[in-house]
Amino acid sequence: MVATEGCDVIGFLGGVLAWFGDPANWLGPSGILNRLREHLQITVAATSVSALLAIAPAVWLAHRRIGGTFVVALVNIGRAIPSFAIVVLFLPISIRLGLGIGFWPTFLALLFLAVPPMFTNSYTGVAEVDPDLVETSRGMGMTGMEVLTKVEMPMASPVILAAVRVAAVQVIATATLGAIVGWGGLGRFIVDGFAIQDNVTVFAGAVLVAGLAIITEVILGGVERRVVPATLRSRSEQVETVPA
Amino acid sequence: MRNIRRRTIAGAAIAAFALIAAACGSGGDGGTIDGPTITIGSANFSENALVAELYAQALESEGYQVERKLNVGNREIYAPALESGELDLVPEYIGSALTYLGGTSSPDSDETYAALKAAWEAKGINVLDYAPAQDKNGFVVTRATAESLGVAKVSDLAAYNGTLVLGGPPECPERAFCLKGLEGVYGLTFQEFRPLDAGGPITVAALEGDEIQVGLMFTSAGTILAKDFVLLDDDKGLQPAENLAPAVRSEITEAYGDKFSETLKKVSDKLTTAELISLNKLVEIDGQDPETVAADWLKAIGVTG
Repeated sequence: MVATEGCDVIGFLGGVLAWFGDPANWLGPSGILNRLREHLQITVAATSVSALLAIAPAVWLAHRRIGGTFVVALVNIGRAIPSFAIVVLFLPISIRLGLGIGFWPTFLALLFLAVPPMFTNSYTGVAEVDPDLVETSRGMGMTGMEVLTKVEMPMASPVILAAVRVAAVQVIATATLGAIVGWGGLGRFIVDGFAIQDNVTVFAGAVLVAGLAIITEVILGGVERRVVPATLRSRSEQVETVPA
Repeated sequence: MRNIRRRTIAGAAIAAFALIAAACGSGGDGGTIDGPTITIGSANFSENALVAELYAQALESEGYQVERKLNVGNREIYAPALESGELDLVPEYIGSALTYLGGTSSPDSDETYAALKAAWEAKGINVLDYAPAQDKNGFVVTRATAESLGVAKVSDLAAYNGTLVLGGPPECPERAFCLKGLEGVYGLTFQEFRPLDAGGPITVAALEGDEIQVGLMFTSAGTILAKDFVLLDDDKGLQPAENLAPAVRSEITEAYGDKFSETLKKVSDKLTTAELISLNKLVEIDGQDPETVAADWLKAIGVTG
């Protein structure tokens, strides 16, 4: 279905609504439900693996006062490379390693995307805990591990959780690139729609991605509010925005 | 005093600007032909970009002003661009182009060409003489698959209806010479269609990794031989004649006349399927620069000096 020329916005939106209303677009391996499942799977996987890779080492390094700006700068090199380039670059590597096309280049690119902000924020979150507070805690007889777990991490939690939330939303948006290297996910509607010049499908895909991103933002924001003590909540304002 | 200084600066700026404009504005070497710049486009796969490069260099060697916009996209993107004037010339495949315009193509080259020429003339596009070289959609399996399933022709796949995965470019399910034709003409059904690329590295990797069992590749691709894939025989004649022909906007052919068409004909006449396959191999397998490959070939066939 080719989009008509001219600026018939109402007609176009009607077409989009009709697209969503058609059950054929929801079911089957290339339907909305399956693509949504794929997209969520990679988002959860990439976000949690990134969190595992990033948060613990960052928190530990900051606690021990090792590294400083050098470490943060090193990790942020990953951020300078556009995700599109990483996905495409990882494709031949993934093939050579026998990991196939599609999932692995996308997943690796998403790690590159999510690890730097989580690492940076975890590091600065712990490193910027009031040194007097740390001093006092040690003075009270806390061991290093106790200082880390009972003082530094709770103090840093707003910043860390905010970073996870922001990274998750970025992952959702960027996972659309996987469609370029043979993966599925919601990006398929955008890429396949574009290939046949079907702007309705492209737009619907974009709506789905944006919708998922917003819902994730709201849910994780709610989790943050529950987990972070009220007195610390203003710290989450310090999260640096992840560049697009 | 201030006025004189201001005028000097203004004058110097204008002179500098004029110098730059003159230096950048003028065309190439001597013998530059006056007329509209020819914007040459191509589809987003290496063979088409290579043929576009052949035409571009052949025209440039005669003194025409050429601008390249290669790898624009698939036909759904470059054909409207050609019709709207954003592109002036694209290398087309007569069978698929005719189908795109709503006509009926056949395995007969002359018939298909005549019908295409007539259909596109109405939209101001002049399809010039076609080359012997053809590049059709081909369905391939790996050697291992061919042996384990015992398939050599496309119709052999019917025995495995519903069990095999087909991979191809995202537009394949909409295309008469792709999935639509496999279903309609051959009565095939696949377990799944995976949208990949147009017979490129993603499709090759998917075949080798057994993520798809049947893949769409172009019959003139060097990869089929290099990877020892088996090209299934199109026994029911689904694929039409797909000779390469330059599709040019009429304003360009009218502005430049016969000499223009003859320049392109010199290239087309020498472009056989065998030549095309070897050129593709140099670019796709040996990794050579398409510009160099094009230049070398044009020199070898005597089109350029």
